[in-house]
Amino acid sequence: MKLNRHRPLRIAVSMMLLTGIACNNKLDVTPGQHITPDQIQTAADVKAVLFGSYKSMQDFNAFGERYILIPDLLGSAGQVTFVGTFTDYRDVFNKAQVTQSLIAQGIWERSYVTLNGANVVLKKLGLLDAAEKDAIEGEAKFVRALTYYELVNLFGQPYSAGNTSTNEAVPLVLEPTEVYDPQKDNKPRASVEEVYKQIISDLTDAAAKLPGSYSDNSGRATKYAAQAILSRVYLAQAKYTEAATAATEVISKGGFALAITFDKAFNNVSSSTEDVFAIQQTDQSNAGSANSGLTTMYAAYNATPIAGRGDVRVDVNLYKLYQEGDDRKAYVYQGTGIAGGTGDYTRKWKDFYKAIPVVRLAEIYLIRAEANARAGSAIGGKTPLEDVNMVRARSHAAALATVTADQIVEERFRELAFEGDWLWTKKRLKMNIGTRPYNDLKLVLPVPQRERDVNKQLNQNPGYDN
Amino acid sequence: MQRFYSVLMGMLLCMLQFAYAQQRTVRGRVTDARDGAVLPGVTVKAKGTVAGTVTGADGSYIINLPPAAQTLVFTFVGYADQEVNIAGRQEISIQLSTGNKELSEVVVVGYGTQVRRDLTGAIAKVPSKEIENFPAPSFESAIQGKAAGVVIESGSGKVGQGLKVRIRGTSSISASSQPLYVIDGLPIQTGSISDVNNEITNPVADINPNDIESIEVLKDASAAAIYGARAANGVVLITTKKGRAGQKTVISLDLSSSWGKPTKKRGFLDAKQYVDLVEEAAVNDGRIDFKNGYNGFGSEQEAIGAYKAYYESAILDKYALGTDWRNQQVNTNWEDAIYRSVARGNQVNLSASGGNEKTRFFASGFYNAQDAIVIRNKFTRYGGRLNLEHSATDRLSIGLNLSITRSQLDRVSQDNNYSSPGQLVAQLPISPIIDPATGKLNKRTLYANGLLDAALNSDKQTTFRSLGNAYANYNFLPWLSFRTEFGADVMSFYQERFVGKDATDGGGIGFGESSSSQNVSFNTNNYFTISPVLGAQHKLSAVIGMSYLQNDAKEMVAQGRQYPSDAVKNLSGATSITFAGSVNNRYDFLSYFFRANYSFKDKYLAGLSVRTDGSSRFGPNKRYGTFPAASLGWIISQEDFLKDSKVLNFLKLRASYGLTGNAEIGEYEYLSLYGISNYPSLPGFVPTQLGNPDLHWEKTTQADVGIEFGFLGNRLSGEVDYYNKRTTDLLLNVNIPSSTGFDVITRNLGKLRNQGLELTLNSVNIDGAFRWTTSFNIAFNRNKITDLQGQIIESGQQRAVEGEAIGVFYLQKYLGVDPETGDALYMDKDGKPTTNYGQAVRTVVGNANPDYTGGFTNNFSYKGVDLSAFFTFVQGNEIYNRAGAYESAGFSGGFDNQTTEILRRWQKPGDITDVPRVSISYPTGQRASSRWIYDGSYIRLKTLTLGYTLPKQVLSVLKINSARLYLSGYNLWTKTDYISDPEVNTTPLGSSSETDRNVAGGTDFYTIPQARTFVVGLNVKF
Repeated sequence: MKLNRHRPLRIAVSMMLLTGIACNNKLDVTPGQHITPDQIQTAADVKAVLFGSYKSMQDFNAFGERYILIPDLLGSAGQVTFVGTFTDYRDVFNKAQVTQSLIAQGIWERSYVTLNGANVVLKKLGLLDAAEKDAIEGEAKFVRALTYYELVNLFGQPYSAGNTSTNEAVPLVLEPTEVYDPQKDNKPRASVEEVYKQIISDLTDAAAKLPGSYSDNSGRATKYAAQAILSRVYLAQAKYTEAATAATEVISKGGFALAITFDKAFNNVSSSTEDVFAIQQTDQSNAGSANSGLTTMYAAYNATPIAGRGDVRVDVNLYKLYQEGDDRKAYVYQGTGIAGGTGDYTRKWKDFYKAIPVVRLAEIYLIRAEANARAGSAIGGKTPLEDVNMVRARSHAAALATVTADQIVEERFRELAFEGDWLWTKKRLKMNIGTRPYNDLKLVLPVPQRERDVNKQLNQNPGYDN
Repeated sequence: MQRFYSVLMGMLLCMLQFAYAQQRTVRGRVTDARDGAVLPGVTVKAKGTVAGTVTGADGSYIINLPPAAQTLVFTFVGYADQEVNIAGRQEISIQLSTGNKELSEVVVVGYGTQVRRDLTGAIAKVPSKEIENFPAPSFESAIQGKAAGVVIESGSGKVGQGLKVRIRGTSSISASSQPLYVIDGLPIQTGSISDVNNEITNPVADINPNDIESIEVLKDASAAAIYGARAANGVVLITTKKGRAGQKTVISLDLSSSWGKPTKKRGFLDAKQYVDLVEEAAVNDGRIDFKNGYNGFGSEQEAIGAYKAYYESAILDKYALGTDWRNQQVNTNWEDAIYRSVARGNQVNLSASGGNEKTRFFASGFYNAQDAIVIRNKFTRYGGRLNLEHSATDRLSIGLNLSITRSQLDRVSQDNNYSSPGQLVAQLPISPIIDPATGKLNKRTLYANGLLDAALNSDKQTTFRSLGNAYANYNFLPWLSFRTEFGADVMSFYQERFVGKDATDGGGIGFGESSSSQNVSFNTNNYFTISPVLGAQHKLSAVIGMSYLQNDAKEMVAQGRQYPSDAVKNLSGATSITFAGSVNNRYDFLSYFFRANYSFKDKYLAGLSVRTDGSSRFGPNKRYGTFPAASLGWIISQEDFLKDSKVLNFLKLRASYGLTGNAEIGEYEYLSLYGISNYPSLPGFVPTQLGNPDLHWEKTTQADVGIEFGFLGNRLSGEVDYYNKRTTDLLLNVNIPSSTGFDVITRNLGKLRNQGLELTLNSVNIDGAFRWTTSFNIAFNRNKITDLQGQIIESGQQRAVEGEAIGVFYLQKYLGVDPETGDALYMDKDGKPTTNYGQAVRTVVGNANPDYTGGFTNNFSYKGVDLSAFFTFVQGNEIYNRAGAYESAGFSGGFDNQTTEILRRWQKPGDITDVPRVSISYPTGQRASSRWIYDGSYIRLKTLTLGYTLPKQVLSVLKINSARLYLSGYNLWTKTDYISDPEVNTTPLGSSSETDRNVAGGTDFYTIPQARTFVVGLNVKF
C-alpha cells in the first residue's frame, strides 16, 4: 500500500491538531478598554491611579454632589428646602432616611472606590522615582484623609459627642483590595477616634510631603490643602491652637487670596485664587447634568444656558442672617423647579461644569478667627476681628467693631451656606439643628442595608433598627 | 484533554491502514415510491454476507461487495423490505413502497445528521412551511408554540425587538439563558448591539425566514452536548435551503401583503368620564379634609367647594387650553394616537434551486418591509442568498453558503420614557392634540407630548450582515470523510439617533448620537465522519473534530448637542460634541468534540459524546471544561413480540444523561480591571472590577427519558419526554462588602433546577381526498432555585431567591377595599388587613413562569383547498402591570387619564368593590402591590390560513408548475383575563443586564400590544 494515498488524511489530521494548538494561545485575550493590575508598571501608571481617585472624588456620590448636598439637607433648617420628587432626597430632607437609602449606599460605595485607589498608590510607591515619591505619597494620603473625614462625619456621631473610642464610624481600610478574601474583607466599623487618628496622621504626613504648588492649574492637592483640612479636623476636635496654627500656614504661606468679589469665588472654570482645594469639572468630565450633580440639583429648571432640576431652594429664613448690602444675601435668583413652583435659588451652584470649592481661603480665615477667639490667642499675628472683617469686607458687609466666637460662627453660616458646612459646625458646637439636638440619631446616615446584608460585622447606627 | 482527541485521531489513522482494500462497489439512491423523496437511513445489505451499509442524508449509498454477493436487500422501518438482483450492475437506485416517512426524516444534529428513528436525544424539528411568510421579522416568532418546551416571548407589538427564548426553562441567573443559534454549522451572533438606553433588538432578524429549510431545537444533554460549553440553554440549528441533484430548476416566487392593527386597546376614560372623576375626587378630598380638620374648613360643603375650585383650575382649566371642558369641547382619544391607522407589510421572495450530480444550488433574493402597529416603528430587510455545492471529484465536494442582508429598524423610545408613544395614554382627554393658540402640536400637555417626539425625533439603525460559510468535504473511503468549514458572521451596524430641540429630551438644544459597530465572528469546524461497515447488524457512525471561534466586536459612539435647528439631523448639525468613545472586545472558544452513535439490529441504540471547550472568558486556571453525555435507545417495536402488531407500529424508549455548560457572561470577568477616568487634565485609572481567577463554567446536568410511538400505521404518533435539568456553579454576580472598593464579583455560586414534561401528538384524523391532521404539544416546566447561599437578587418587583422559581413577584398583598372608607387594604405581618401601606409585608404574590405552554394545530385539505388553524396557549403565569399605579389608581399617581377599570370604584360607604376611592390629595391603593398582578394565562388563535392551490389543468395553460393563493389571519382571537395583550414583557427597569433579563419578565409598562394581522399571499413555482 502506498503511503501517499493517505496524504490528504494526514494533512487533515495535522490541520486539526495544529489549529487547536495555535488557537489555544488565542484564549488569552487582552481587554480592549481596561488594564489589569499587572499593567501598572511605571511611575506614570501609579500617578494615573491617583488621578483616578480624583475622578472618584468628582463623582456625584462624593464632592460632585452628595458630600455637600446631603449635610445641607440634613442641616436644612434655616438654610434650604427640598422641593423635588426624588424620594431618597426627600427622606433625607425630612430626616426620615431608611436603611435601604440609595444615597447612603452610593456615598459609601464611591468613597471606598476613592480609598481603594489611594491605597493602591500607597502600595505601589516603589515604582516612583525618588524625586516624586514623597509628593505622591502625600497626595494619596491627602485623598484618603479627606475621604475618611467625609465618611466619619456622615456615618458616625461627631467628635464633640464624646465616647469617641466607642462610637462607631466606618471600616478603616488601609490596604488595597487585590483579591476578595471574606476573612479579611468583612471588616467591622472602626471607632470615631481611630478614624480621626488616621486622618490626622495622613494629613500631617501629607502636609510634610506635598509640594506647595504645581506648575499647572490642574487643581491637585498641595501642602496647604492638607493644612487646610487639618485645621478643620482640629477645630472639630476643639484643638484650637493646632487649628489656628494650621490655618496660619495656609494663610501666610499658601499664596492664596480672597476673590475680588464674592461672585468670583464661584462658578469658575478652574480653581480661583481663593480655592485652597477644589474639584475640577468640564463639559466632558463632571458629576452629572441630568439627575445628579450639585448644579443639577441646585440650579433652577429655567436656568440658562443649561437647565437644572431646581430641586433645592433657599429657605427664605436664611436672609435674616444678613444685613442689607451684604453681597452674600443677594447671591440668589428666582427660578422654577422641575416639579413646579417658583422660588429662590443660590448662585453658588448655578453654572454647569465649573470648579467645586472643597475648602476656600475665606473658611480658613474664619477657622483661625474662631480658634484664636476660643483659645484667647492671636496665632498668625492677626486678631479674630481682623480675620472676620477681612471676609466681610470682600462681600461689602459692614466691618464689625468687636467679635465673639459665636459671632464668628454666625459669620461662618453666612459665608459657607450651601457648601455642606452648617451641619458639621452645629454638631461641633452642640447647637440644635432646627428642633433636633446636635446628636439626633437621624442626623447620621444609616449604614447601608446592602452592606449589612453582606458584611455581618457591621453594626447599624442607633435609630435605624428596622 | 487535547491529548485524548489526538489519541483518538491517531487510532483513526491506524484503522485506515488495514481497512483500505479495493473491492467491487455498487452505488445508488433510495427514494420513496409515493413522492420520490430521498430516504436516508435505509439499511442496504448484500444478502448472505456480512457486507452492509446505510443510505446517507441524500438517500445515496455505496456498498463494497464480497465476490459472492448476488442480491441486495433494502430494509427500512415502516417500509416493506425489497430485494434486488445485482446482475453485474454498478448502480442500483430503487424506490421503497410507501411507509412512515416521519421516522426516516433527516434530523440535523450538529456536525452531522441522523435519521429520526435512530435518535436517542430530544430534538424538536420545525420545517420550512411553518416559518415561511410569517408577518414578523424574525423566524422565532413563527415557531412559538410549535415545539414543545420552547417558549418564545415576544414582549411587545413593536417590530425588531429582542425576544426572550427559553428552552426547558431559565437555567441561569446572571449569565444569559438564551439558546445558542447555529446556521449551517456557523454559530451566529445573537446579542443586541443597539443603543443601551433603548430596548434590546434581535440580530436574528437579519436572517430571511423564507431561506430556512428547517429548524432543529436540541433540547436534552445528549443532543446538545456536542455543542458542550455553549449548550446549557439548548441549541437552535438553522439549516437553509439547498439544491438537490437531479432536480429540475425550480423558480419560486412568494408575494404577500399584510394589514395590522392592535389586538386590543385598553380603553381609557373619555372627556366626560374624566371630568366627572376629577369632580368626584374633589368631593372625596373635601370630605376627608373636613373630617380630619386638615385645613380647618367650616363645613364639608365649603371644603368640597375649595377642592373643586382648586382641581378645576389646576387641572381642567389648565390643560383644556381655554376650550370648554364642561361641555367636552375637546374629547381626545390619546390611545388611538399611539397606533398607525393600519400597519402595512410587504414581502417579496424570489428563489431558484436545482442542480445535477456535479453542482447544486439555491439562490434567493428577498425584500420585506413591516410596519409596527405603533407609529414610526418599522422594519425593512432586503438581501440575497446563494448556497452552492460542487462535486469536484467523486471524493471531493466544495461549497459555500452565503447570505447578505441589509436591515433597517426605525425605532421609538423605550416604554419607560415620556417620549414613548405607549405613554400617550396618560394624557388627558380634555387636552387637545393641536394647541388652539399655536395651531401646532400641543406642548402644554400634562406630560411631555410624545407626538412631538414622533414628529421631531428619529432613530434609525441599519445593519449590514453577511453570513458566509465555505466548506470542503473529502471522502477518503466510503465510510470515512473529512469536512472542513470556514465561516464568518460579519455584522456592520450603524445607528443614528436625533432628538429635536423641542422634543421631550431635547432640552431646547437638540441631541444627536451616532454609533457604529463591527462585530465579526469567524469560525472553523474540522471533523471526520466515520461510518464503518460492520455488517448488517451493526451500524456505527462517529464524528471527531475540533472547532475554533473568535468574535471581535468594535464600536464607536459619538454624541452631540447644540443644533442650530432640526434640519440637519446627523452630528454635522451638532455644534458641540459632548462625548465620543470606542470600545473593542473579543472572545474565543476552542473546542474538541467526539460523538459516536451505535445501533444493533436496528433495535438497540447507544450514543456517546464528549466535548471539551476552552474559553477566553475564564482564566488560565479553569479555562477548559469537558462536557460528556451518553444516551440509550430501544426500538421495542422491532422486537419479535411487537413486530407484527397491527395497532402499535412504532415504539421507542430512550434515555440520556449528560453535562452541558454556559459561559455567556461578558468578557474579562475573571480579571481584575481598571477603567479609564477622565478627571480634567489628569487622565487616570480607576479600579472597576475585582477578578476571580477561579471563575469557571456554569454546569447543567440533564437527565431525559422519552418515549416515541406510532399507532395504526402511524395515524397517531407522538413523543413524551421527562427531563430534570440541574444547574450548578451558577455564574452569579455576588455582592461583596463595598469597603473593598468593589460591590460585586462574579463567582460560581448557587444551584437551580428545571424539571418538566413534554408531550407531542400528531394524528391523521381523516385520510384521503379530504385530509384532516392534528398536532398538539404541551410542555410543563417547574423552575426552582435550590441554593443561593442566602443571596437575594432583585429586579424591579421580582426576585431570585432560594426555594422559589426565578422571577417570582415579591410584593405587598392587596386585600381589596374597606367598604366604609374606600381605602385600600393590605395584609400586615399578622395576616390582618391594614390601610397603612408601611405596615404591609412583602410576600410572594405571583410567578411570571407559566405552568404549561403549548400549541394546537388542525390542518384540513380537500383537493386544492387547504385550511389550517393554529392555537397557542400559556397557562398559570402572572403579569404585573407596573403602569397600574398611574393609569388605574384613581389619580393617586398623578392626574393621568384612567382606564375604564376605575368605573367600578368605591363611591359611597357600603360599596363592595376591589377598586378604592379616587383621590388627588389623599391617595390610597396606588403603591406597588398585588393589586397590579393579573392572571396572564391565554389561549389564542395565532394563525388561521386558507389556501387554494390551482388545479393542474389551469397550471398547464398558464405554463407554471404550481400556484397557491392564501389568506392568513394572525392573533384573530384571544381568550385571556389580562387587561391588555397577554404577550407582554417590557424591558426590565434600570440596567439591561442579563440578571434583569432572567429575573424580570411578564411586566407591562405602557407596553405596545401585539398586532392582529391579515395577510394575502401568492406562491408561484415555475
